[in-house]
Amino acid sequence: MPRIALTLGPVFFHWPADRLADFYRRIADQAAIDRVHIGEVVCGKRMPFSDSIWPEVIERLERGGKEVVLSTLAAPATIRERRAVNDWCSEGRLVEINDVTAIPARSGQAFVIGPFVNVYNESSARFFAARGARTICPPVELSLDSIGSIARNCSDVDFEIFAFGRLPLALSGRCYHARLNNLHKDSCQFTCEQDPDGLAVDTIDGQEFLAVNGVQTLSNQVQAFCPEPDDLRAHGIRRLRLSPHTADMVAVAEAYRGLLDGTQSPTSTRFALSCLELPGGMVDGYLSGKPGFHLTGSADQ
Amino acid sequence: MELICPAGTPATLRAAVVAGADAVYCGFRNETNARNFPGLNFSTAELAEGVRFAKGHGKKVLVAINTFAQPGRVDLWRKAVDEAAQCGADAVIAADLAVLDHAANNHPGLRLHLSVQAAASTPEAVKFYVDAFRVRRVVLPRVLSVQEIAALNRMIDVETEAFVFGGLCVMVEGRCYLSSYATGKSPNLSGVCSPPEHVTYEDDAEGTAARLAGFTIDRYARSQPTGYPTLCKGRFTAGGKTSYLFEDPVSLNAGGVLAGLKAAGVTALKIEGRQRGKAYVSEVVRAFRKAVDAVEAGGDAAEIDRILAGMSEGGRQTEGAYKKTWR
Amino acid sequence: MADELRDGSLPLARILFPKVGALPLGTLLTRALRDLARRQPNLFERLGEHKSACFFVNPTDLSFAFLVVPDGERSLVRVVGKSETSSAAVLISGPILMLLGLLDGSLDGDALFFRRIVSIGGRTEAVLALRNAIDDAELRPADLLGLHGVLGRLADNAILGSLRAARRLACRGLDQGERS
Repeated sequence: MPRIALTLGPVFFHWPADRLADFYRRIADQAAIDRVHIGEVVCGKRMPFSDSIWPEVIERLERGGKEVVLSTLAAPATIRERRAVNDWCSEGRLVEINDVTAIPARSGQAFVIGPFVNVYNESSARFFAARGARTICPPVELSLDSIGSIARNCSDVDFEIFAFGRLPLALSGRCYHARLNNLHKDSCQFTCEQDPDGLAVDTIDGQEFLAVNGVQTLSNQVQAFCPEPDDLRAHGIRRLRLSPHTADMVAVAEAYRGLLDGTQSPTSTRFALSCLELPGGMVDGYLSGKPGFHLTGSADQ
Repeated sequence: MELICPAGTPATLRAAVVAGADAVYCGFRNETNARNFPGLNFSTAELAEGVRFAKGHGKKVLVAINTFAQPGRVDLWRKAVDEAAQCGADAVIAADLAVLDHAANNHPGLRLHLSVQAAASTPEAVKFYVDAFRVRRVVLPRVLSVQEIAALNRMIDVETEAFVFGGLCVMVEGRCYLSSYATGKSPNLSGVCSPPEHVTYEDDAEGTAARLAGFTIDRYARSQPTGYPTLCKGRFTAGGKTSYLFEDPVSLNAGGVLAGLKAAGVTALKIEGRQRGKAYVSEVVRAFRKAVDAVEAGGDAAEIDRILAGMSEGGRQTEGAYKKTWR
Repeated sequence: MADELRDGSLPLARILFPKVGALPLGTLLTRALRDLARRQPNLFERLGEHKSACFFVNPTDLSFAFLVVPDGERSLVRVVGKSETSSAAVLISGPILMLLGLLDGSLDGDALFFRRIVSIGGRTEAVLALRNAIDDAELRPADLLGLHGVLGRLADNAILGSLRAARRLACRGLDQGERS
């Protein structure tokens, strides 16, 4: 029975450098995680704050037995951002491509395709596989059946599912933290730092709905996909991705490891997750082909 | 600069051609195109007839096959490309690698335009699509400023097309799942954003609530004009403030920067609105025809403003990301 | 604004319907719609699954309403009272001349809706399908009244002339509304 691995996705939020360093130290030493993505994915303006910590973080994670993946920007625009993408692509380590901007620099070497790149079918999966894709984490709106159908027709690639965390739903050229504070993106004062899990966006009738994180829009609710491991295997899934939040990610990883090893049921895993301080209610609708905000088995859906 | 105009129906295609379009873009009546709304779009026979009509007037037809093919159903998208080619389309507008790959390998004579849904905004991304699929034109994402377009054009060796009027996406196109989060349907999955079957307008004590899948997107006083509940144009509460957080309910009007786009090296100007009626399309195309002709003849900004001033589409307008302050 | 519009259009609307012939209005319109389906089947194809939907069309300045099932050669139009909405999947209300203006594409449905001159209820996707089908059909008013030849042209001229007058009124009304 093939083992399903756990991946820790990149941190989407603007955490101060020492918080990031502490976070990865704990992950390195304590978390039941196989692969860890590092690097800024959302906003190039944040990069100077964390650039200096990565060598130590990488060293620490590798010492802790984790495979490190360098995640690249999802929407590079400026010369500096494009150069950063290129620099990481020419590093020896595995990189995650989150925009086709990185393809010319990386084609022919191994890479991961992240959830910001549009892989919606077996044909595009095979296209990337032929150029070096080893793992593909498809866009979050695809169902398990769709991903399974792609995986069946592209067996030399590991397919990974975005299993835990606020769902990355959109990117913009406009910064919503800046807009909310009547600031211009170019002089944003990094107000996104005040919301380490993103800022909740409710409807005018008070319904919890979305969250913003600088130029990124996420779901307010937290993806908490807790399937039977056999169901994942039947769909050819080899990895689950956990997306970092301020909640105890070591505990999240432990819950998922228990689920994948068969020592915890989906129900008890979900219960364990609900006991953590999550920034929103739990959802998993996308995986069953429903609206993303649905939760399997809940009464009203 | 070429003027590229929308057509949701054969009647609108004819209206756009008569009103002065250089090329009309349209799609098939299924999920292969990103305006998959009920009652809209073309059968194969209608497309063939539309191409005949346009060519008879010396104009072009571009076929948008710009959604992402569904797993196990890629043949539907390949067939759309084959049929567009058979109908004599001048180009196919596509974003999915599966569609681009099929077109490049099987229809080497067919021009490929990279859809805005691919959101290629860096020289590296453009180079990737040009090298891999011999893409001839890139439709630019609506998040670039005029200066950025000029810089990009200096670094790439392919035509560019820029949106000048109509609905404005605030999110990076082709990478927005807001709609499927609420409704299960999205531009990439199903060719629709904020699908009408999930839209309700309901009068309550505070006015008329426009909802999408039960989420209140905006509320209007009884006598106020309403809007369509597109998620990113809604009113939300964040950080204790209620506002149009993502974008005001405005539409793009880049009439004021036409000369700037020409100087930036843009080949074609695109009007959004395949979901709009022919009355609307005729009026907008006619105005932009005059404005583009004036720009090409070296007309000044005041003249362009005067031409486009008559074009009132009700709602408010913005020059969007073309002005850097938009961010 | 809306009042002025309705006042302006009311006398024009009144003269339309008593003149269409000896047949009851519902029968006449049913026949006209089926006739249209034989001549322009594409129009109804465009409606897709929504052709079997029941549309309650309520001209707010007339004393009656219509129930319409635009199902090609099986189309049905009934003249009904203002309250007979229970079987309808869709409700469309507006001044009769505005509704007619939508038919020949001289008025933009979106604009009339967003400015609340025309209001809709029920299944939005069916309304959209109908709007798009009509927009492509390039109908003349006579098509809907089942009139051909000289009579059809006369009716078109009369109704389209009225529409232009009403539209001028409407635009003036809207401008005033927006200034206030």
